[in-house]
Amino acid sequence: MNCVELQQSLAEVEDASTEEQRSHLRTCPVCSALVKELNLIVSAAVDLRCADEPSPRVWNSIEAALRREGLIRPSRTSLIPSFSSRWGALAWLVPAVATLLLCFAIYLRHTSPITETARQTFVSTPAVNAADLNDEDLLQEIADNSPAVKTQFEENLRQVNQSIRDAQSWVDESPNDAEARRLLMDAYQQKSMLFDLAMDRSLP
Amino acid sequence: MLSNRTTKLLTIGLLVAAGTLIAETKKDLHFNVGPKAGVSIINPYGSISVKPSPGNTVVVNAVLRSDKVEIDNTQTGNRVDIQSHLLSGADPDSGRVDYVVYVPADASVTLHCSTGSLEAEKLHGDVTLEGAGAAVDVHDVSDAHVHVKTMNGAVTLDNIQNGHVEVDSVSGDVTMRSVTGPLIQVVSTSGKINYIGDFGSSGEYRLTSHSGDIDAVIPEWTSADVSARSVRGEVHDDIPLQPKSHTWFSMDKGRAFAGTVGRVAVSSTVVLRTFSGRIHLRKRPEKQQ
Repeated sequence: MNCVELQQSLAEVEDASTEEQRSHLRTCPVCSALVKELNLIVSAAVDLRCADEPSPRVWNSIEAALRREGLIRPSRTSLIPSFSSRWGALAWLVPAVATLLLCFAIYLRHTSPITETARQTFVSTPAVNAADLNDEDLLQEIADNSPAVKTQFEENLRQVNQSIRDAQSWVDESPNDAEARRLLMDAYQQKSMLFDLAMDRSLP
Repeated sequence: MLSNRTTKLLTIGLLVAAGTLIAETKKDLHFNVGPKAGVSIINPYGSISVKPSPGNTVVVNAVLRSDKVEIDNTQTGNRVDIQSHLLSGADPDSGRVDYVVYVPADASVTLHCSTGSLEAEKLHGDVTLEGAGAAVDVHDVSDAHVHVKTMNGAVTLDNIQNGHVEVDSVSGDVTMRSVTGPLIQVVSTSGKINYIGDFGSSGEYRLTSHSGDIDAVIPEWTSADVSARSVRGEVHDDIPLQPKSHTWFSMDKGRAFAGTVGRVAVSSTVVLRTFSGRIHLRKRPEKQQ
């Protein structure tokens, strides 16, 4: 089993427990490190899911303490509560999407330094749809809280989405080209930054 | 003699100006800090300019445009946090605060501003500047991390030595003059990237714009291992490069070039990438050297 076969086989046997997988991992430090990181992400995700939600009293106490210290004020509408109230129980989707983007970026970073042979034969392409990243919710959030900059965000979001589509088409066209994957990763990072800027505390 | 109408208009103008001046207030804050202090400033509307102070003090000179905005400040140990706090009814004009802040040169500075400008100069602590529409200007900074994030604000970096520079801008143009260090990375979606300088001696320079043009102007003595590639656009190279024997991407004529300029032993790695923009590597004219 070579690097490419191992990475493809991980889709079916995630914990790399087959004899073939184990045998390859013993001799390949790159794949071994990749599997270790994947396991870490999987275990961290399980921990996150199982984490106990503190009781509302804890949040209330923290809020009261912050108000006493003047760190938060009732008159200012925060984006975070707005997200929570809009999405309710689905508010966890925001960090989940961010985590997925991060995992995607880590995945791309790990695939680029693999051996030249592996690079030539590595053909799997990430299929992530840019339109699924809740653009409408982001723009609505901006419209509600910072309407003055909504048009600018809209235009920049359009450009970033276009760049993701371009980069994705290049990856589809040239799946063995590491630069194409890098460009796609950069495009996603730009989109992630836009979300980040939309949540910026300096936005009025 | 002025006509009645002109006199009335002048009077109204003077009253408005006087009203603005009366509403405008200045506020000065002083904080004593130790070495490598942390300073954070959040300002929705207006500019922030950070300069070095002679001693271990942080001095904040703020001009508040109206009483619809106030300044919150806290000092926790070696860390100073300043925030413009918009009150009810504040708008971009009445909520504006302009800051000039003096910090110890080794302080780490974090500036957030959605509009206006962000400026940092003559520092050697880490500098982080973020703002959706903020124009960013960083100059005369050394031995520091410089991180910039903007949506459409223009970014200008001048004379940054031994820097670890990371710039992300969606549509703002990025201009760098004499910027060198172990890592210089710029990523933009549609902004233009201009680099004027010699790419240092052993750093990694990665300039990427999806659809914006990339222009690099280098002096004759530059030593760099350069590769440039535009997937749908054009590349131009006015400098004779020693071609590489092997590249891992196809060297389509007019779309890519790769080679070495100057001395290989002390060269930096320069990667110029764009999807549909144009890349131009040029020699700096003698008179500018």
